[in-house]
Amino acid sequence: MIMADKSLETAFVEAFDRKVGLLGNGSSDAWLTSRRQAIKVFADQGFPGRKSESYKYTPVRKWMKDGPTLDATRPETGPVPPFGAFDGIHVSTMNGSLLDERVDGLPAGLTIMGLRTAYEQNPVFVRDHMSRIADIERDSFTALAAAFADDGILIHVAAGTVVEKPIYVHHVGLSANGFVQPRVLVVAEDNSQAHIVEHFGPAGAGTTFENRMVEMFVGPRANLRHVVVYEREHDARFVNGLHVHQAQESVFATNHITLGGGMVRHNLNFLPDAEHCETHLNGLYIARDDAHIDNHTLVDHAKPNCFSNELFKGIISDTSTGVFNGKVLVRQDAQKINAYQSSKSILLDKTAHIYAKPELEIYADDVKCSHGATTGMLDEDALFYLMARGIPKSRARVMLLEAFARDVVDLVTIEPVKEYLNDRLHEILAR
Amino acid sequence: MLEIKNLHVSIEEEGTEILKGLDLKVGAGEVHAIMGPNGSGKSTLASVLAGRDGYEVTEGTVRFDGADLLDMEADERAREGLFLAFQYPVELPGVSMSNFLKQAVNSVREHRGQEPLPASDFLALMREKAALVDLDPALKARSVNEGFSGGEKKRNEIFQLAMLDPKLAILDETDSGLDIDALRIVADGVNQLRNEKRSFVVITHYQRLLDYIVPDHVHVLVNGRIVRSGGKELALELEEKGYDWIREETGVNA
Repeated sequence: MIMADKSLETAFVEAFDRKVGLLGNGSSDAWLTSRRQAIKVFADQGFPGRKSESYKYTPVRKWMKDGPTLDATRPETGPVPPFGAFDGIHVSTMNGSLLDERVDGLPAGLTIMGLRTAYEQNPVFVRDHMSRIADIERDSFTALAAAFADDGILIHVAAGTVVEKPIYVHHVGLSANGFVQPRVLVVAEDNSQAHIVEHFGPAGAGTTFENRMVEMFVGPRANLRHVVVYEREHDARFVNGLHVHQAQESVFATNHITLGGGMVRHNLNFLPDAEHCETHLNGLYIARDDAHIDNHTLVDHAKPNCFSNELFKGIISDTSTGVFNGKVLVRQDAQKINAYQSSKSILLDKTAHIYAKPELEIYADDVKCSHGATTGMLDEDALFYLMARGIPKSRARVMLLEAFARDVVDLVTIEPVKEYLNDRLHEILAR
Repeated sequence: MLEIKNLHVSIEEEGTEILKGLDLKVGAGEVHAIMGPNGSGKSTLASVLAGRDGYEVTEGTVRFDGADLLDMEADERAREGLFLAFQYPVELPGVSMSNFLKQAVNSVREHRGQEPLPASDFLALMREKAALVDLDPALKARSVNEGFSGGEKKRNEIFQLAMLDPKLAILDETDSGLDIDALRIVADGVNQLRNEKRSFVVITHYQRLLDYIVPDHVHVLVNGRIVRSGGKELALELEEKGYDWIREETGVNA
């Protein structure tokens, strides 16, 4: 992608050297120092190869050979986001950083600003959170994003603040054929509450690659809800690293709805790091044409008395591929854990594929855990039942697929977003 | 209304012949009962008439209201006015009763050249027809058949029959699994839906249902063919003497 005659890794390391410099000149900038560390980690690890267990079914390299460039120019405006008119707080990003640094009209206790600006204003705060939860040693895409990201967004919810309206982050645009690596940092302090909706719309930017790194800290007794709606075009590629840290008695819920993209890999990592945490992770994906959509989740139950629930559903058609890998780890001291996981998929064509791998790794002895993975074709008996009532086959199929998707969409609690998703699903499935 | 001539049907995959030259003629407004032992081909007949996949018609014809029934897809048959009450109604999690019925009723109406039913009229129709089989109108918010008791599922079939207003209804062992009270409710519902235009084919193993839905004609299906036809008294005779009697009488082995 960057220089064809070199290995991909070398090309990235050299690009880093050109942009940032591999060697420090005695800079006291801690962020810069950490970026240099990250590129070293990346250079040592390289991209996951064929033998990598966690990227076995998603050889991301395949989508890096052509197209996206690190040196693309950043456009000033992007398409109009579909959630733009909903009641709430709105910010837009270009290449993952704020389109407009000035965000007006925020309620007291809520801060949304550029991550770079935040770092300049309050280096200690940002440094204390950045890369504290995301382990760059564990995943080379995380290392790469940590190395290249020089900006992103900070959302901070002060202690005791309840943000009543949803916070919409519209990721409207990308550089043409850009390889973009932004960061997101969300800190919800003690007893706070917020609902963040991220939307990735068609960017009209050609063959793009986003490799992002999101860190979220959910403070004691805080309640943070998160929705991601991803519907970029078919030539967009996305590696989405989410790392969530939960303090005691906190509630976190995320719902990843993937309706677009040619290659999407969600790396969703949760660490309920204190007692009485509640974690909900859900997702729905529709893979069409030759798209490749991979949900890779890890819930690391490190502390006792926590609850987690996971539901992922996929509809896979044409020659596309779906991957689900869900790991629940219950450490030895984490007694009284209730952890549930379910993955369900429907294959619409014989040429479509699903790889589903639930993994339970339990070292504690007093826990309730379950997992289930089902895959099948559309239920012929159900289809016949609908047709026997006069409903044409094409409409009957859409009804059944919508019904299948519904229990994930129903978990979205913001009505206009739910309505939008139902309409979009109808449109996509009726195609 | 319905005219079946020399119908031969095999299971598609294995090729086993189930119906071996079946003839049946049902006139408008008539109620025909088809009785037969297990494995005689009763449910295959219902499935083939409704257009379920997996069966191959190797010989014979079926005319429905003058048209070639076998030439139509399952959904076309339903829109033309053929209704099958399922022996085992299918659960459809996530598909609400109201959406299901709206889609079904409006598909049929569209076919008849009628406008979709306005929401208020639709609700009124649902209330009226649900009352026929004593179904709780609150079920409209529930998923189709999901969590319904066996009796509720069967009542739901008759409710759908009432909503769709077909020319011909085939009841496939609607009595199976019903206690006597549920059976009465279902039969009452069916009886209220009888009229001079609508025909019924009632498929059953036992005579019990026919105490409540009194047929005009009774046919005995054994080994893929109708071996005897008569009036309602044939059902009673069969109940008394058993299917072995008919096998001996006709020389057909099931």
